[in-house]
This record gives sequence, C-alpha cells and structure tokens, in this order.
Amino acid sequence: MSTFFHILKYKLLSFVKATFDRKMVSAVRGIGSLIVFGTFAVAAFALSFAITRFVEPQVGLEVFHRIVSMTFFVLFVSVNMGNIIVSYATLYKSSEVGYLFTKPVSFTQIFILKFLDNFLYSSSTFFLLVFMALLGYGTYFHYALYTDLAVMFFVFMPMLFLSACIGVLILMSLVKVASQFGFRKVVTGLALLYIVIVALFFKFSNPITMLEGAAKFRPGSLASSGSGGGGIMSLLPNNIASNVLYYISKKSPFLAFSETALMLLMTAMMFTVVLYVGKRFYYRTWLMTFEFQAKSNTVKSGQKVKFFDFRKPSRLPSQLEVLVKKEYFQFFRETSQWLHLALLLVLVFVFAISIRNLNVTLRVTEIQTVGYLILYAFAGFLSCSLALRFVFPSISMEGKTFWTQLSAPIKLRKIFFLKLAIGIVLVLLPALLTAVFSNIPFVKMTERRPLLMYFGVYSAFWVTLTLVSLNLGLGGFFANYQEKNPIRVASSQGATLTFLVSLVYLVSLVSIVIIPLRDYFQSLFQFLPFDMSIIVAPGTTLAMLSAGLSAFALVVGYRSLQRDF
Amino acid sequence: MIELRNVTKKFGSFTAVDNISLVVPAGEFFGFLGPNGAGKTTTIKMMAGLFAPTSGQILMNGYDVVKNPIEAKSFTSYVPDQPFLYDKLTGREFLYFIGGLYKMDKKAIAKKIEEVIEHFDIGEWVDKRTEDYSQGMRQRVTIAAALVHEPKAFIIDEPMVGLDPKSAKIVRETLKMMARQGVSIFMSTHSLPTAEELCDRVGFIKDGRLVFLGTQESLQTYKQKFDGKFESLFLELTK
Repeated sequence: MSTFFHILKYKLLSFVKATFDRKMVSAVRGIGSLIVFGTFAVAAFALSFAITRFVEPQVGLEVFHRIVSMTFFVLFVSVNMGNIIVSYATLYKSSEVGYLFTKPVSFTQIFILKFLDNFLYSSSTFFLLVFMALLGYGTYFHYALYTDLAVMFFVFMPMLFLSACIGVLILMSLVKVASQFGFRKVVTGLALLYIVIVALFFKFSNPITMLEGAAKFRPGSLASSGSGGGGIMSLLPNNIASNVLYYISKKSPFLAFSETALMLLMTAMMFTVVLYVGKRFYYRTWLMTFEFQAKSNTVKSGQKVKFFDFRKPSRLPSQLEVLVKKEYFQFFRETSQWLHLALLLVLVFVFAISIRNLNVTLRVTEIQTVGYLILYAFAGFLSCSLALRFVFPSISMEGKTFWTQLSAPIKLRKIFFLKLAIGIVLVLLPALLTAVFSNIPFVKMTERRPLLMYFGVYSAFWVTLTLVSLNLGLGGFFANYQEKNPIRVASSQGATLTFLVSLVYLVSLVSIVIIPLRDYFQSLFQFLPFDMSIIVAPGTTLAMLSAGLSAFALVVGYRSLQRDF
Repeated sequence: MIELRNVTKKFGSFTAVDNISLVVPAGEFFGFLGPNGAGKTTTIKMMAGLFAPTSGQILMNGYDVVKNPIEAKSFTSYVPDQPFLYDKLTGREFLYFIGGLYKMDKKAIAKKIEEVIEHFDIGEWVDKRTEDYSQGMRQRVTIAAALVHEPKAFIIDEPMVGLDPKSAKIVRETLKMMARQGVSIFMSTHSLPTAEELCDRVGFIKDGRLVFLGTQESLQTYKQKFDGKFESLFLELTK
C-alpha cells in the first residue's frame, strides 16, 4: 500500500501546485472561480430552501419526498452516465496508466487510483452544490449543521460513489463484451438501451404531468412506506437517500439510521465487487482497447476514398474546406465524441416527441406559467449541456497541433468564427426542435394562437447564439492544450464556471419572461384582451442581454487565441 | 530572407531572448545553437508567429510577422521540436490539410504530396491514422508537410530528434537541396556534427543573448583557439 500512497501524495502535490500557482492570471481566475462558485453555492442553498418552503406545504411530506427521490434519480443517473463516458478516457486512454504499468505497481492499485481520480474529478462540483442544496432543505426542516454534514458524508457521498462504481462496472463489461461481439455492435446496443430508458423516464415522469399530478395530491394521502414506495423499489439508492431525509424530517432517527446503514452497506458491497472486477479484468480490458484501435486503423481503410474526403474537390475556399474536413474527421473518428452527441441528440428527440403529445388541460394561470417555464428552462438546459460538452472543448481539442494553424497564413478570426458557426449549427437544430415541439401543446391549449411558438423560436436563436458564444469564448480563455480528453475539458473548473454562468443567463431569461407570460395566460383563461406591447420590453431585453453576453464572450475568446502558444 | 531586428522576449521579469539581431539571406543555411533553456525555441516560436516579441521586429521575406502575419507566414515553413499531428487524420490527410491552409490548388497539393511521400519513403504507412505513428514517423510527416507549399524561409527546431539514420540522412540532403534552391534555412540544433556539416553560418545563444555569430570559416578559425574540437568551442561559448 505504500506505493499507492506514494503515488497519491504526488498526484495531490501536482494538483495543489497546478491549482494554487503564483501566476497573476491563475490568481485572477481563482478569485473569479471562487466568486462564481460561491454565488452558486448560495443560489443552490436559496433555491433549495425556497422550493422546499413552497412545495412541501402544498403537497405534503410524502409526495414532496417522492419528488426529492426523483430528483436524486436524475442525479444518480447523471453521475453514472458521466462516469461511464469519462472513465473510459481516464482508465483506458490516459498516458499516465501506460506509464504506471511499466512500473512495479500492481494493476489493482493503478485501477483504484484512476477510479478515484475519475470520481473526484467529475463529481467535486456536484458535492458542493448537493451540500448547499441539502443545507437549504435542512434549514427549512430545522436540521442541525452536524445532521447536514452527516447526511452529506454518510448518505450522499456514498450514493454518488455507488453510482460511479456501477458506471465503471458497466464500462468494463462493455469493453469485455465488445471483444466478443465487436465494439460497434455493443455500442449500438447500449445506445438503444439508453434510448429505451430515457423514453421510459419521460413517459412516466415528464415535468408537466408531475406538476399537474402533484397539484391533485393532498398531504397524507399516501401510505407511510417511506418516500419511494415499498418493495424492491425501496432499495434503489435514490429512494434510500430520499427516505433518510424523510425519516429525519419526520423525527424518526432510528429509521433514518437503518436506511443510512443500508446505503453504506450497498456502497461497500458494490465497491468490493468493483475491486474484484478491477483486479481480474482491468489490465486485460486495457490491452483489449489497443486491439480495437489497431483493428480500426489500417492502411486499407485509410486508402478508401470516403464521402467527405480531403482528396475530393470542393466548392469551399481551400482554407475553409480543410478546416471543416479536419473538424469532421477529428469528431467522427473519436468514439466518445460521436457517441455522446448521438446520446444527447436522442435525449433531445425523445424529449421533443414526448412533450409534443402532452395534453395540457388545466386552465390555471400559475400552473401553466410554471409548466411553460419548466419546459423552457429544460430546453435551455439541454442546449446548455450540448454547448458545454461540444463547444467548450473545441479550442482545447486543437491541442499542441494548433501550431499548424497558428503558424499558417490564415486569419485567426476565420478559425474562431468557423468554430462558432459549427457550434451554432450543432446547438441550434436541437434547440429549434425542442422550441417548436414544446410549444405545440401550449399552442393547442391557446386555441392555436401562435404567439408562444414565435417566442420559442425567437428565444431559441438568441439562447443558442449566447450559449455557443459563451462556451467558445470561455473555452478559449480556459483552453488547456495539454488535455486530449474532451470530456475532462468539459468537466474542468473553467467549464463548470461557464456552465454556471450559462445557468445564470437562463435564470435571467426566465425572470424576464415570467410576468408577460403570466399576463398572457391570465388574459387567455379570463377572456381578457392581451396588450401585445407588453412583450416588446422583455423581448428587447432578452435580445440585448444575449447580444451583450455573446459579444463579451467572443471578444474574450478571440483575444485568448492571440496569446503566446 | 529572414531578418531579426533587436528582438526581445520577456515572460514577466524573465528575459528569454535579449535583443537579438541577425539576417539569414536567401540560400543561406543558418545554424542556431545553444544549451537547453538558452532561448532557441522561444526565438523560433516568435519567428513562426506563435509568440509575440516583447520588442523588436521579425521580417520574413520583408514582411513583419506581427504587422503582416498572413504575408509573412505565406513564405514560411515551420517545423516544431515536437511533431504534434492531428491523431485522427491519416498522414496523407494531414498533408492535404497543410496544403489547404496555404491555399494551394488541389491538383498541386496532390502532385506535391506524391513527391514528398516518395522522397521521405512514407508511402507504406501514410494512409494510417497518425495516432499509431512512432516519433520518427511523425517527424517525417511534419517535415514533409513543411515542404508541401514550397517555402522561401524554413524554420526548423531540432530536426534530427527521433529520426533513424536513414531518415536523418534524407532530411539533411533535403535541407541542403533547399538551401541550394535559394531557401533561407534557420535551424536550431543540439547536434554539433549536423551544424558543422550543413551550416553556412552559425549563431550561439546563451541566456537569451547571441554570444557568437559567424561563418563556418570563422568558426573553424575560432575553434582552433581551443583544442580544435567543436564540442570544446560549444562548451566554452556556453559556459
């Protein structure tokens, strides 16, 4: 074990030195990050407190904790999916692993190191936000600080760790099975399975149905079997975590303790399984990944003239042509890139289809306003995720090979704005799809008045421009040309900061449109005339805010390209 | 022609390159020598447009690298010390990519690519993605890419690193041929025999300052002051 701690010590040292170096730029970035993370921590606290205070008295303790359980499910799945994708790069593609394999360090120790590295790297922001949200929740239910801390350490961290364990088990199984049946078949199978899960998730829990459903519940109407129902379902980690909160809030500490023990036991068991599987299969599966690469990279396949080939003539100017083709091949030859995009697009598509068929019936102003805004914000959140995952790393992904472009006779703005254009196309199409489809139920409900549809499309354009500009600009500012893994770039500190700024922007948009939207629904439901001039000011504010933020981010990003390389 | 006029580069309070001036006329092979951390790569990166000089001027074929970067870079080829390539492109695709960046006609690129593939003997694996290339293979593709657009100024940082003897010979012959054709060559190297064999003139840099600048003849005369060995001269100048 001494080797393990020796490596761990130097990894920590390296992290500390990289995070707290004495350069001015790093200090400014650090202070900026601290302010933004601090703001978000406070916002997570306030939001959690406000939601709990608003929703819990309306729906009762049991229903409220069912909603909490669903939220945890989303959190659990997010961490799980994130770990499957990120850990492929960390466990199998990292040069550090190759280096450590040449040293007298056991495979199990390397596996644990990289597993922990992956978990802590991809979940650290979650920890902060989850803890602050827990504080907000706990404030409402008058939790002592030590209760919050205990819940964080003994319930939430094990839950997220459990999720990461399952993620890495799925990944290793995937690599193992892929060696039998072929990588593409297995990946396609997994993608289909994921589509089914997402479709089922939306079928049973789309936000409007949940909101309308919750409005019909009355406190105390459910059987007191915890917050997540009985039977096998109560063993789901999200239900256990939600049950702990439920029992603490219900002043039943013994039941809360037993649920906590169950969570710890499950996590310990799963980690033991992970250790066993890691010990037996990590090195073998690591070798398999080389076989996949060798099989897919042959002279024969390279000689074949493809649809979008460098050798083919093009009508585009030569510089633009080669840049576009380079982006295309770099993207579609990297499995983690196209696979992740495909999964996200499927998610967007399923969401759009699911929402289109929604039957919005309740003619209650507040419910429809909140419902509309939930869909609006969720659509924005999808665009936000797409931009963060694919646009933010686009400059970093040039890597050290960026010398080819920076030393060539090409204008920097051509390079920069091409990336902007690609980002806009990538994000705008799904954004328009969700904007149109999520407005269909409301247009139907409002006797086919198209105002909300026009607003949705108008907003989709501005939101796309702003989110892409923010991610490209700040992605350039925080560019890390050393990192080859786009997922790690998209989950870096700079990326998290950008994501948080994007969320602030989305919340600002929601707050800009909330009043005119409420007035609109009110005029419809109460058969009053609607003064169209009401929408001019928010529409203009939305455009100005978006344009201002986009311009700022683009200037920052463009200037960052002019720095020494 | 390559011209550096009082070029200085500072990183905060540290001066990496201190007031360097030199001219490499067309057809001259210039060797840039110095110990590790002397400022060779920083100078070269400024010439390639990757670093902005703190003060001074760099001209490539008469064009200022900072004020007229597009014109200056059009005549220049740069080969970095580490041959970074796009992993997911094949060697051939990378060569097309570079040709396109220099606005070359597709047919001209194809013709030139066939030439460099044959010249550098890379045909056997040029259609594989570069992610599986060895250091030497990458280096050969990078140098081949630098020749695609037929530059007037050639800046090359440590060209022999990672090359096997056969490839190193090809590169040496290529550089000599380019100089004969009128290309200004600026080469940074640690290899003293290479500098002695190839260069018309050499410059020694130490702590960012040019401590020796002279022709091969003056260098030969100068080194007789020591024990007649290039290595001893190098050690003395960079002491």
